[in-house]
Amino acid sequence: MKQFRGHRAVAGVDLEVRAGERVALLGPNGAGKTTTLFMLLGVVTPDAGTVDLVGQRLPKGRNRALAKVGFAAGYLPLAERLRVREFLRMYADLYGVRDPDAAIGRALERFGIPHLAPVLGTELSSGQRTLVGIVKATLHRPQLLVLDEPTASLDPEVALRVRLGLMELSQADGTALLVTSHDMAEVQRLCERVVFLSHGVVVADGPPAEVSARFGRTGLEDVFLHLAERQREPEGRPS
Amino acid sequence: MSAATVAGAGARLRDAADSWRRVRAIARRHAYVLRRSPHRLFDVTIWPLVDVLLFGSLGVFVAHHGGTKSIAFAYLLSGIVLWHVVYQSQIALSTGLLEETWSRNLLNLMVTPMSELEYVLGVVLFGMVKLAMGVGVVVLTALAFYAFNASSMGWEVLPVAAVLLTVGWVIALFVIGIVLRFGSGAEALAWGILFIVLPLSGVFYPVQALPGVLRPIALALPTTHAFVAGRALLVHRGLEWGQLGIAAACTLVLLVASVVFVVAMLSLFRRRGYITRYS
Repeated sequence: MKQFRGHRAVAGVDLEVRAGERVALLGPNGAGKTTTLFMLLGVVTPDAGTVDLVGQRLPKGRNRALAKVGFAAGYLPLAERLRVREFLRMYADLYGVRDPDAAIGRALERFGIPHLAPVLGTELSSGQRTLVGIVKATLHRPQLLVLDEPTASLDPEVALRVRLGLMELSQADGTALLVTSHDMAEVQRLCERVVFLSHGVVVADGPPAEVSARFGRTGLEDVFLHLAERQREPEGRPS
Repeated sequence: MSAATVAGAGARLRDAADSWRRVRAIARRHAYVLRRSPHRLFDVTIWPLVDVLLFGSLGVFVAHHGGTKSIAFAYLLSGIVLWHVVYQSQIALSTGLLEETWSRNLLNLMVTPMSELEYVLGVVLFGMVKLAMGVGVVVLTALAFYAFNASSMGWEVLPVAAVLLTVGWVIALFVIGIVLRFGSGAEALAWGILFIVLPLSGVFYPVQALPGVLRPIALALPTTHAFVAGRALLVHRGLEWGQLGIAAACTLVLLVASVVFVVAMLSLFRRRGYITRYS
């Protein structure tokens, strides 16, 4: 549970992601997705409730847990004045990657951007920055990969490359994915389970087709629009 | 020795090695930033040069008109040399964090396994390089333009410098805590706070030269006692251990207070979700 200045951002989220599972955390703006992710990552402290991350209880086990978790967000820029290789080397060291150069090479290959290694962060397009951010998050082959709006600024071809890279990672290393996105088509292709939030609570949890059916809708897009409409209504009003 | 003990020692060694890699990664990141942003060299080249020219020339002028060259001149130049120890260590640490806020890298760093202490040590490690550059420029400029040899203070200046170095870090920790609490709007303090500490610390004059109402404040600052100890070296009175002891004790108290303050502000930062200011 989390409140900011009297406003309830997350009212009650009970969420478990199993090893290798690909889960989407969905909901309209203000539903509590990013706050939930930030609490999960130990960046925001919950007012009530507990977070267990890859076997560690937060906040005490935060650093141990974060060694096995990757995070990338479409809205985050790269650290300025670093070349992509330097940026990735820094994070490889921070995550304790044993053979950083090989890991960086592999991760860049996985997402099809080895040519960006010598480029300065400031010279990248927003889509390229997002890709490098995802590469950064996967360098240490995390058990859990948390992605906040990863494909927001990507063209369809690059989004496809990201999706294939993530699925390969999930299958090869058993990495679990927890993704927020507003692109329902993308979610439907990538994730096997969706969790919808509205007003800071979980309102649906299950496979995409099952969740759509539960709301009597034809797809996730319709479910999203329905919940977005409900989100605009005053809190607590029955739908 | 049991296998478990050996395994435990091995794990601790690996943890220490990983920790050192994280510290080094942060130091290297700041080295890249300095190398690729020549304007950031201002703090460690132009500013020290300007300070020496300003206070050195002031010392020469006062000496010619007041006839007290040896004291006024040496006070001003030794003062600026030692002041730059505080200045450079403070600026390096506080702007280290600000750099992460300017480049919106804070969230990326906070979701790594790096501890806050490792981050501070990484910035401090690179800060020592900046300190060496900045103080080096001051010392060389004073020697070249005014024939003031900082080494004339002798090796006893080292413990004085160590206290001033720590004071710089203490001030930086307070600044970091305030920035965590109030956001980037408070970053002017990184530079501004030093202009409050500077006159109150009697960097260029004995504390008796201050207005009476300010003297108790000045005497409560560790820098004041450190500068008294530094000036004693100039008049060949040797190291004033009493003054240095007071400075060291005050610094230790403030160091503990600054760490407690930063930890409290970081906790508040997490409770109130201030990370959204930088993401």
